[in-house]
Amino acid sequence: MTTSEPTSETDVEVTVNGRRHRHRAPSRLLLSDYIRDTVGLTGTHVGCEHGYCGACTVLVDGDAVRSCLMLAAQVSGAEIRTVEDLAPAGSDSLSPMQQAFHDNYALQCGFCTAGFLMTLESVDPSRYETPEQVVELLSGNLCRCTGYHNIVAAVTEAWNLSRRRGGSDYG
Amino acid sequence: MKPAEFDYCRPSTVAEAVTVLADVESARVLAGGQSLIPAMNFRLTDVSVLVDIGGVEGLDAVACDPEGVTVGATATQTRVLDDDAIAAVIPGLRAALRHVGHLQIRNRGTVCGSLAHADPAAELPALAVACDAVLAVSGPGGDRRIRAADFFSGPFWTTLEDGELITAVRFAAPPAAAMTVVDEISRRAGDFAVAGLVAVLEAGDREMRSARLVGFGLGGAPTRLKEAEAVFVGWAADHPTDVIAEAVVADTADAFDDIHATGWYRREAVAALAVRAARRALNAREDA
Repeated sequence: MTTSEPTSETDVEVTVNGRRHRHRAPSRLLLSDYIRDTVGLTGTHVGCEHGYCGACTVLVDGDAVRSCLMLAAQVSGAEIRTVEDLAPAGSDSLSPMQQAFHDNYALQCGFCTAGFLMTLESVDPSRYETPEQVVELLSGNLCRCTGYHNIVAAVTEAWNLSRRRGGSDYG
Repeated sequence: MKPAEFDYCRPSTVAEAVTVLADVESARVLAGGQSLIPAMNFRLTDVSVLVDIGGVEGLDAVACDPEGVTVGATATQTRVLDDDAIAAVIPGLRAALRHVGHLQIRNRGTVCGSLAHADPAAELPALAVACDAVLAVSGPGGDRRIRAADFFSGPFWTTLEDGELITAVRFAAPPAAAMTVVDEISRRAGDFAVAGLVAVLEAGDREMRSARLVGFGLGGAPTRLKEAEAVFVGWAADHPTDVIAEAVVADTADAFDDIHATGWYRREAVAALAVRAARRALNAREDA
């Protein structure tokens, strides 16, 4: 939808985790706040609000993005996925990556976890062969509890990466 | 923080976008928003109207031919980074984009937006200067073209006039035998460089034939290292490195001090990067 008339409120029509939503939102509303406060999905966390920490990472049409660096107005017509969409609906089980995080103690306070999971969800695992490539992939997400080793171990396990490459102590 | 109030529009043509940009004071272009929105969240920039060009048809076009690559205003950095045909024509684009932000930033951030933002520590403006890029600009007075060398006038400052919009940038292919090195010192992966260098180098069998050297993170705008370029020509791996270092230091006399590094450190760092680039290009030639 396009319009060349500047307005202080904007119509937002968007699919979030398969459900359609329609709101009239302030133009200044960030996507992160739209997801949390307007749609009511609080699994997406807001850390730094300037694109540094990656906690607010969600998928917009399949791409991992920082939801604090987008406006709700920009995503009209898009399909959004958040951490609430990862575990199979109507069951108590986790997604394989979530389970691997759990099994490897890849979180402590959990504030950053949704961002890590959504970044991982956005990529094709077959493009990653080594833990070092995973480190590079996850460099846009900050974690202050784990020191990253257990997160890399979880991904290594979930994606079944080689643990013997390059003498790494990851995994 | 959250951005202060502003009005938002999403025009469908360049002409509509230019009309709003020209009519409204403090109207700003929103492309990827990966620098603008943080600045707005911090309330560092005053925006009355945000003109989102994401809905303008055709602005995301990317075209690649043997002479160069044209990247439209809304084409994302990921789109360009992942394109093997582009990397074959302008290897520096892939080399530079690997240093830009992280996956999530590159998924939204645009090549043209990085040029318009003109961060003095950013890689793409330096690459644009090194590759004789030309920016296509539309404004209330019509269309014009600006050479990258004439575009960056200071930190976050360009020669874009009020109401003007970059619609595309064209990077010229370097000589077929040239190697492009994009190297930098930064505190963390994906962060802006403390100091960096783009080098387009043609190595002969033994010595360097031609060099284009552009430093970044040193001053207000990408810094062409002309004395060092002259020293590079004819330099061979068994020549002393001091001559390169001395020339780079002379070229970067106005490198600035800040909390991350002193001007002295920046000059020495770029000198070291220049020596490293020269050796890499000569070694690559030897291996070929």
